[in-house]
Amino acid sequence: MSPSNVQNVSGGHPDLVLADRCRRDEPGAFEELYRLYSPRLFGVAYRLVGSQEAEDLLQEIFLAAHRKLSQYKGESSLGTWLFRLATNQCLDYLRSKRARLALLTDTFEHDPNAHGSAAGAIVGVVDRMDLERALALLPPGARAVFVLHDVEGCEHREVADHLGISDGTSKSQLHKARMRLRSLLAAARTAERP
Amino acid sequence: MTICDEVQSQLSLLVDGQQPERAAQALVRSHLETCASCRGALQDLERLRRAAASLGPMTPPDHVWLEVAGQIRLSPSPAPAETAPRRESPRRAALAQWIGLAAALVIVTLGYYAIQRVSGGETTGGNVQPAGTVEAVAEELNQATEHYEKAVAELEALAKSDATALDPAIAATLKQNIQTIDVAIAESRTALSKNPGSEPARASLFEALRRKVGVLQATVTLMNEMRKGNQAGAAEAAAAFGKKS
Repeated sequence: MSPSNVQNVSGGHPDLVLADRCRRDEPGAFEELYRLYSPRLFGVAYRLVGSQEAEDLLQEIFLAAHRKLSQYKGESSLGTWLFRLATNQCLDYLRSKRARLALLTDTFEHDPNAHGSAAGAIVGVVDRMDLERALALLPPGARAVFVLHDVEGCEHREVADHLGISDGTSKSQLHKARMRLRSLLAAARTAERP
Repeated sequence: MTICDEVQSQLSLLVDGQQPERAAQALVRSHLETCASCRGALQDLERLRRAAASLGPMTPPDHVWLEVAGQIRLSPSPAPAETAPRRESPRRAALAQWIGLAAALVIVTLGYYAIQRVSGGETTGGNVQPAGTVEAVAEELNQATEHYEKAVAELEALAKSDATALDPAIAATLKQNIQTIDVAIAESRTALSKNPGSEPARASLFEALRRKVGVLQATVTLMNEMRKGNQAGAAEAAAAFGKKS
């Protein structure tokens, strides 16, 4: 760490201070970082790769963060830095496990429900648990677009950057993901009715 | 493509507060005034968007932190340590060595049993295994857990007198995890005793056992913190086995 950064740290942006404490192996510092950010990152991992792999991936994310903390210079917030690290880990996992993301998103092209006109109405408030279950049924690529844009609040430009796709593809995949979710939620509602 | 299809393809833009493509703007507006189905679709997408934004963070199980902490302590520090390495008391090292190796063996054995039982259940096409088999596995785990807890208690007692204690917060979390899992195991056992052929109860028991193995695996990793040398390899192998199981 350069002397100027050390000065910043002592001056105290909280993210830089925490990162510096972690780098110096101060007792409890890395656990503090974990407690602060693991809920958001676990939510991202859970929704991107599913419940089975999310715990393992969360471990890998924080182990990678521990290794790479020396690269964090405070250009963005620590949360943003970790979020990017987490999404990269999850997407690498999806790419390695399930061939190519782009190929997987293509499955929507032949899915009439993704375009929506045949779908029924959801009716009423969307139950979160129903939404989590429906989300797990989306193809991974479209799920990633939906999670990053609608759940995590990324712009299409950022989604496209994360996934290595164009803005237009991000928009069209998002629309298809939403229409498919609408269809899945409507079907779940219908099934619940006596 | 019907008019409804054409209009619905523009709905996500509206939901995101953007304008439809210029050529379609007039069509979308006029169609939405007259088509209840497309208006319904727009409302659904708006609800969906709100619901998605409300999907918040999720607290991970505590054992994840235990495993992260254990792995970090086994790995070289990213920054050079500023303090001299701690010297390990021979008595503690010997005890820790024994515990680590025993724990690794227990985990490997339990993992093997669990896998055998679970995979057996899956490959028999729904045939129900005798309840006694499941109970036997659970009983073995209970016995192993007792040994473990005894070992942890001994280690903690040693640590108290040695200034380099097993982190009390981690030990407490570990204990809490075990208690929670034990409740799940007890509930599954009760369900199995009432209905020995219950597939969900058996699956639940195995899931609880699997989680317990995971926590015990984390225990091994943490115990490794307290010892140095070649013994670390045995526990790392146990952790790797646990991941695979």
